[in-house]
Amino acid sequence: MKNFNHPYHLVDYSPWPLTSAIGVLTLVSGMVKWFHNFNLNLTILGYLITLLSMYQWWRDICREGTLQGNHTILVTKGLRWGMILFITSEVFFFLSFFWAFFHSSLSPNIEVGTTWPPIGIMPFNPFQIPLLNTIILITSGITITWAHHAIMNNNFNQMKQGLLTTILLGFYFTILQGFEYIEAPFSIADSIYGSTFFMATGFHGLHVIIGSLFLLICYIRHINNHFSMNHHFGFEAAAWYWHFVDVVWLFLYISIYWWGN
Amino acid sequence: MASLCRQIVRGNTLRRVLFSSASSARRGYADQMMPDPLEHATGMERKELLAMEAGNDDPFNMKVLKKSAGTRENPTLVPSCFDARIVGCICEEHSTVVTWLWVHKDHPRRCECGHWYKLIEKELP
Repeated sequence: MKNFNHPYHLVDYSPWPLTSAIGVLTLVSGMVKWFHNFNLNLTILGYLITLLSMYQWWRDICREGTLQGNHTILVTKGLRWGMILFITSEVFFFLSFFWAFFHSSLSPNIEVGTTWPPIGIMPFNPFQIPLLNTIILITSGITITWAHHAIMNNNFNQMKQGLLTTILLGFYFTILQGFEYIEAPFSIADSIYGSTFFMATGFHGLHVIIGSLFLLICYIRHINNHFSMNHHFGFEAAAWYWHFVDVVWLFLYISIYWWGN
Repeated sequence: MASLCRQIVRGNTLRRVLFSSASSARRGYADQMMPDPLEHATGMERKELLAMEAGNDDPFNMKVLKKSAGTRENPTLVPSCFDARIVGCICEEHSTVVTWLWVHKDHPRRCECGHWYKLIEKELP
């Protein structure tokens, strides 16, 4: 009876919130140990528990939505609001790094030589790899729109192609950023420049990796026919997230790589 | 190589002839279609889609009920899956408060404004 007269999704009991909590507590304890020069065993165990919980929790959500049909229109609206609020919180997360950057760069103090970039810092040429990365991310924004239009037009193969292209561009970006980090003539310990630079671009890189994985999961779900032309919010959420990561990069490029150079 | 190409061309031609009449648009290999949305959906999601297809845009009774005449003979019908339901009567159009009342099965009830309500069994979507 409970499932017939309302559009809400009454969730079943699930062990994953508990195992996630145990996992992240283990992880943070392991990292404290690691920071105090003990071994990595507890950190690895924490990662293992957390990753297994994440996999199984999200697997269950896919089952509830796709295979049990629990995601009515009203439930999907809730999911949309959840994603909007999550991305809003991410915007403020990055805002704090930009705040730190502009606080230090708009009136550089005596310790860094009252100049920006600070004395002795050799920043990247913004018109080499960073410009290529900008083009890669903007292109990936186009290809994900291609995939979205394909799914709305019921086109299986073009969705597959558009999504795969986006994922490959995402990994290409990550590889180029990796090379850039290896080649960098300054480190995170080199003045406030290195600190703000690697804090902002590093967290952005982490978000690109997360976004790429999110899209990869969508690709696997698409191959397994989890989506239809009006049931694909998982993909839309990934697309929103990807656009967010894209926009953050544009701000990073303009302010840190270009203006800050 | 040439025979392979010929096979591919012949195969696709045959496929086009066979399937072009079935779908409205003629599509090649590159345009494999996705599952039909209604066939793909299951559970409550499917029930909701079917209800909407049948012209019911409010399968879960989430919207405000339209009042009928509200006389004793012609009360406003309140659908419910249970033996009783709470009704919030907006006694007049510009009323700033809602009058709440329980309506029980087989016992039509009159709001203090004079409007009658009657519980009926709700059809499940």
